[in-house]
Amino acid sequence: MLMQLTLGGLSQGMIYALIALSLTVVYRSTTVVNFGHGDFVMAGAFLSYVLVVLAGVAFLPAAALAMIAMFVLGVMFNRGLIRPIRGGPHIGLALMCIAAGYLLRGIARMVWGREVLPMPPVFDMAPIFVGDLVITGDAVFIIGTVLVLLLLFFGLMALTDLGKMVQAVYQSPRGARLIGLNVDRFNDFSWGVGAALGALGGILVAPVSLLHPDLGASFLIKGFAAMTLGGFGSLGGAVLGGVLLGIAEQYAGAYLDTALIEITAYVVIVAVLFIRPQGLFGRKAVVKV
Amino acid sequence: MSQIMPSARQRKTRTLLFWAVPAVLLLLPLATNPYTQFIANGMLVSVLVTLGFTLTIGNLGQLAFANTAFFGIGAYSSAILAAKLGVPWLLTIPLAGAFGALGGFLASAAALRGIRTYYLAIITLAFGELMRWAYLHAKPLTGGTDGMPMPRETLLGVSLTDDTLKFYIFLAVTVLLVKATLNLMRSHFGRAVMAVRENEIATASLAIPTARVILVTFMWSGFVVGCAGALFARHVGHVFPESFGMLHLIASFAMVLVGGLGSVLGAVLGAVLLTALPEYLRAFPGMEELFFGLIVAGVLVAMPMGLASLLRRVSPIFVERFYREAP
Amino acid sequence: MKKYISLLAAAGLAASPLLAQDAEWETEGLTDDAITIGVMGPFSGNASSYSKALIGMMAYYDKVNEEGGVHGRKLVAVQEDTACDSAKGLAAAKKLISQDEVFMLQGNSCSGVALALRPTIEEAGLPWIVAHAVSDSISDPLAGNIFHGVPTGRANGRAMAAFVLSKPDTSNVAIIEHSNDWAHSYSNPARDYLEENGVAPSLELTMERGQTDATAQVLKLRQEKPDFIIAALYEAETAIFLRDLKKYGMGDVPVMGTAGTDLENTLKRTGDFDTVKNYYVIHSYVDNLDGPLMQPWGEMIHKYYPDEELSTFSFVSIGSAEALVSALEAVGPELTRSKLMAALEEVRDFDTGILSDPITWTADDHQGVKGSAVAGFVDGEPTVLKAWGQPY
Repeated sequence: MLMQLTLGGLSQGMIYALIALSLTVVYRSTTVVNFGHGDFVMAGAFLSYVLVVLAGVAFLPAAALAMIAMFVLGVMFNRGLIRPIRGGPHIGLALMCIAAGYLLRGIARMVWGREVLPMPPVFDMAPIFVGDLVITGDAVFIIGTVLVLLLLFFGLMALTDLGKMVQAVYQSPRGARLIGLNVDRFNDFSWGVGAALGALGGILVAPVSLLHPDLGASFLIKGFAAMTLGGFGSLGGAVLGGVLLGIAEQYAGAYLDTALIEITAYVVIVAVLFIRPQGLFGRKAVVKV
Repeated sequence: MSQIMPSARQRKTRTLLFWAVPAVLLLLPLATNPYTQFIANGMLVSVLVTLGFTLTIGNLGQLAFANTAFFGIGAYSSAILAAKLGVPWLLTIPLAGAFGALGGFLASAAALRGIRTYYLAIITLAFGELMRWAYLHAKPLTGGTDGMPMPRETLLGVSLTDDTLKFYIFLAVTVLLVKATLNLMRSHFGRAVMAVRENEIATASLAIPTARVILVTFMWSGFVVGCAGALFARHVGHVFPESFGMLHLIASFAMVLVGGLGSVLGAVLGAVLLTALPEYLRAFPGMEELFFGLIVAGVLVAMPMGLASLLRRVSPIFVERFYREAP
Repeated sequence: MKKYISLLAAAGLAASPLLAQDAEWETEGLTDDAITIGVMGPFSGNASSYSKALIGMMAYYDKVNEEGGVHGRKLVAVQEDTACDSAKGLAAAKKLISQDEVFMLQGNSCSGVALALRPTIEEAGLPWIVAHAVSDSISDPLAGNIFHGVPTGRANGRAMAAFVLSKPDTSNVAIIEHSNDWAHSYSNPARDYLEENGVAPSLELTMERGQTDATAQVLKLRQEKPDFIIAALYEAETAIFLRDLKKYGMGDVPVMGTAGTDLENTLKRTGDFDTVKNYYVIHSYVDNLDGPLMQPWGEMIHKYYPDEELSTFSFVSIGSAEALVSALEAVGPELTRSKLMAALEEVRDFDTGILSDPITWTADDHQGVKGSAVAGFVDGEPTVLKAWGQPY
């Protein structure tokens, strides 16, 4: 049973990792935490639904198109709504993100209203039985996709010039400006990437779950919990935090009580912030006066 | 941009206005039917919730999203005390406030440990959701998913389901708490709150006990919102866990923002407007989210200091010393 | 004697404003050509898929109106959104009662909201037919003006447990549910019925709304190996649960679901017959949703709401609307609220042609529908069943 739970937790955790990663990408470059990110995830899922079911596009191109569309949305959002209020209090930025999320949710509800929509399954693979362990097509697909993505992402960061530029901006936006990097455009780009990654999370979840406008709500908190556990601002930490959270949920549910699955994320947040606020890999988060 | 402070005569006018408004409102029940009276009562509850919220996020400048948690704690305390211990509802109001203050104490623990900005936002969010889980699962105490119905009670011979009676009680409580908050914020303490918001380290260097300032502000905010919770329990007559979730938090946000961060007047304006708005939107079910999103985004871009900032330009009477300066 | 008569006359005159007021109250919301009915439901918010029930009901009103109405009066629905929130629902009720001044109320899908509304509506005294919400406490203890027009949670829960036990050699029963009022309204009576028959649930599990994975729960079940599982889950979570059951090799264990799901939709959602072949649901209707007896109703709904996607909810409120119309017809053109309520209490074994059990309202019991059928896949086709292996 332990292996099964770990596998299930890994699969779930990969999605949380994606969401935490996308949140962190935006946070690292712009210091804005997108409190409406859950709804961006939902929007990605809905977009892929529209393309697959209503426009008849195959899954992979639909996913790609949806991600591109969300990238554009992320950029436009940053340009149009975030930039004008950059100088204001943090609370304003948080609220703007929430408002954006709400707008997306409102649009989804207006278009699909009362319906709860099924997405056709992507893989019709029969589950593989390894002894007592069941490996499902969904798990393979999700874990595989996210692993590939992570390899690409961190590979880009570490090995290419683009990645070096990104690291430069992360370390010092001012310094980056001094050496001629267009930080504003970089921020746009980060928002786009964050939105696209979040959308991918939604796209991966869509065939597994069912689509409804409130899909995003729970993902936001899981993303936060993962970020907190891994350490705010740490990309690797976000991924690790997500995976650990997914596994912890499954263990808690199986060995303690299924009612605890829902609040594992919250407990993680409170516990980490009280015991070791910087999480696993984060920087110091505490202001002591 | 600095504001002209009200002169002595303007302050007298301000005091007059402050008491004139509730005096006029005493006549409100003559103009309402049970539905509109119910909405008016809801507005008063929202005023208190928004007031408590704007104190922590506006005046103190801490991103604490625990407001809804205080609200739920207050509502459930009142319901449990009334239904299980037979305490008369009026008495449960300050008791619920006390429990809310306790919640404020717990929430401030995070802030006091040095947790700030987004971390504080997230941990207080988590706190709120944990409370909701507790309401759902502590069935013997909270009734779980069935919620807790408020017991039948009469006051001066009138049943406490009567909206007019509730209105007068709500009005009294609201006026009292608003006045107390204004007094608090206009005092030396209020200035300390502002100072902590602007620059905590500098304030500490002035030998002002910043930890105590944070603690007291959170606890007072919890008290106000806890009382609001007790009022809400009677307002609906039945306390459910679903009423204290993210939706409520976001609605409170919008009210604070539209009214003006850190402004008591703003709290009143924002609460009244954003309680009335959904009722006007009844003809368009499901459009609420869209409207709320547009309004919040619009206010943030065009009028970040809320409606109160507009009023300030009209007359110095509406200037409060402790709102947040425009960036 | 003269003194008495004048005293009586004086008393009569004094009381006449009250009597006149009473007369006004009796016909509030009525005009010569309209009966206004306040229809409350979750038309927005995360429970909005349940408001399909009210769409079906309003289509029936449209049908009746097209056929001339009731004694020359059309049924005019005044819709108000509750968003499944108690405060908003209470505002909706008060608006309908005090501002729109409707003649009666019919509707409500969310039990929590209906419970919160009960004191206010009971006090207002106008007739209220609960057309979808299942919680027993809405209509029990008895209130003179509150009528329940669908099988209540108790009726459904017991029907579920009865079906489960009707399978031979069933002694190990597990329950999985959401931790909310809706789920408990099914699982608690089911539990009671099981225990009355000497079976205690071997395992009690929770699955929350919005969870996309039921691995932990299914693994626990795998260890327990029940003969039957009772699942009080919403549509989405049911599909996920069934899929996970099959994933981990538990696909042969029969699962008993509530009235909140239906076979056709669950099959569509999981996309795979093998996953749902052992799934049974409470099916309060006389036929499958696309069977010959139900088709005319589906066509009726599409006539007035062509874009409406039909689901199991769409039909559930029509029965109570039929009973209402029959009571209105029985009263005749001189309609008052009290007369309507008296006529409703005379409804006996009313066969709606849509609900699997008839509606009966008496002066002592306003819970009109006492039983429910079950549906399951027999030879690949959804079939209405009375008990295990017994067609309806």
